[in-house]
Amino acid sequence: MMAKKRFVMTIRTRERLQGMLFVLPWFCGFMLFFVRNMYETLIFSLNKITPHLGHYDSDFVAFENYIYAFRGHAQFLQVLYNSMSNLLIDVPMIIFFALFMALILNRKFKGRGVIRALFFLPVIIATDGVTLMLNMANAVMAGGIQNLPSEFMSTTEGMNVMGLMRMLSNYGIPANVLGYVADVTGRIYTIMRASGVQIVIFIAALQSVSPAMYEVAHIEGATPYETFWKITLPMISPLIITNVVYTIVDNYTVSPVVELAKNTGTSGSYDFGLSAAMSMSSAVCVGLILFAVVWLLSRFTFYQNA
Amino acid sequence: MAKKETLRRIKRKPKEVMLNRSIAGNAGLLFFISLMGVIMFLPMLFTIMNAFKPLDEMFYFPPRFFVRNPTMDNFFDLGVLLSTSWVPFSRYVLNTLIITGFGVVGHVLISSMAAYPISKHDFPGQKVLLRMVVLSLMFAGAVTAIPNYIIISALGMNNTYLAVIVPAFSYSLGFYLMKNFIDQLPDSLLESARMDGAKELRVYWSIVMPNVKPAWLTLTILQFQVLWGTTGGQFLRSEQLKPLNYALGQIVAGNIARQGAGSAVGLIMMSVPVTFFIVSQSKILQTMATSGMKE
Repeated sequence: MMAKKRFVMTIRTRERLQGMLFVLPWFCGFMLFFVRNMYETLIFSLNKITPHLGHYDSDFVAFENYIYAFRGHAQFLQVLYNSMSNLLIDVPMIIFFALFMALILNRKFKGRGVIRALFFLPVIIATDGVTLMLNMANAVMAGGIQNLPSEFMSTTEGMNVMGLMRMLSNYGIPANVLGYVADVTGRIYTIMRASGVQIVIFIAALQSVSPAMYEVAHIEGATPYETFWKITLPMISPLIITNVVYTIVDNYTVSPVVELAKNTGTSGSYDFGLSAAMSMSSAVCVGLILFAVVWLLSRFTFYQNA
Repeated sequence: MAKKETLRRIKRKPKEVMLNRSIAGNAGLLFFISLMGVIMFLPMLFTIMNAFKPLDEMFYFPPRFFVRNPTMDNFFDLGVLLSTSWVPFSRYVLNTLIITGFGVVGHVLISSMAAYPISKHDFPGQKVLLRMVVLSLMFAGAVTAIPNYIIISALGMNNTYLAVIVPAFSYSLGFYLMKNFIDQLPDSLLESARMDGAKELRVYWSIVMPNVKPAWLTLTILQFQVLWGTTGGQFLRSEQLKPLNYALGQIVAGNIARQGAGSAVGLIMMSVPVTFFIVSQSKILQTMATSGMKE
């Protein structure tokens, strides 16, 4: 009697199939809402889009939108260049600041949750309700009649140092004192504002380092300085890359070039084809910078399982 | 004699090993962190102060930072305003709870579930997928708004909660973060779990998730912040579906006449995420992934 031949899977295959099952829900959503959007944007960028009520017409124009963006458009190239150079200046500063803050905030002290919250505050303030309220309060303080331009806050960028200075000057602090403080803190403040999420990610990374390692280092007589360079930094180095990626993306998505692309598509001439071409080409620019930086950093990164 | 000398040398207390920074260093750090903290705290303090100011103090010129006669008037004003709104206030709260609750839980579960196999198994096309995830991060919501609207409409999710919740599930940032944190887990830990007979779901739920708790708590905070601040945008058009942020934003948009109630709104909108942040941050504790492991 012959036994019925059963379909047998190796453990490896079964694990892999189960793994695929795990990935599936996320993957579907990712394809549907993100990859498809990227593809759509690419198609739009190759077409001339004319919106009508309820539908739109598209004529294939190949690279005309791109050529216009780079050769014909009055601002695009400048704005793109400025955004990219700002990105290159800001990102390292944000990363160093965030790492530094995370190292301090990671220590055990009373009320560390509250102190950590303070550094996350700029991210929270970017909520519409809060932003509008601060704007309004500022308008009232300035005399109540004229409405200040929305310099204090903008929903995409969070807090602005000029707004804060204006707020303080409304309280009667002399302008030259403020000007000096503004110069010094302007950059720092921008960086502090943009590093809320990064600090939180770094704290999580620091918390993931096994205490046993520090114990060993302690027993072997390592100084705190050595411990930092030999244990903390290598252990969190993969997350430094993560944070760099996050920072570049975060910095880019609120940069003037994205704003320009958005305005081109949603106001004025409603030229969505051109807008798509702008966002495609700037995304490719940032993408190149990003992959170059990641490649460079990954050569100095310690991977535990490799 | 020689023995006595040796004994004395052994008995002598070894020189204290310096484990901490010097006092001056600590003081410096304390000063630095308080300075930063104060600057960060200014807007928050301002919001708190304003929420308790009576109207005359709010419009007082020159303005005063600190409140003199704190009152709850602003909150009562807000209550009156809300009780006259066409859609009951509790509905807005419920909407936000639904969106934030499902969005955050779903996002954390789905993205970590996807991140675990991608990080720890090998798949065909893994590298390409990761590149695509990073690239997709760079397409800001504002720029892909139109394709996004088209797909949401085509799926019939327009003007339902789903339009806000479902895209939040597969938001690529969460996946990316989780993947990088799970990468840090030692393979041997998972190996030993499998040897003890744990199935994939078990490995994911009992080994991976507890060990990357700091990561998913961080993710919770980030996603909570995003969804708490959502106004529903172009997708939630029915008034009954609008979230709290929208409703309160409308009150503030009443401009100067609503200054009092608006300040109360600012405090409410700010304090919920701050509280959430503090609670979840204090839950972040060191994990024990590699303790007791020999390699």
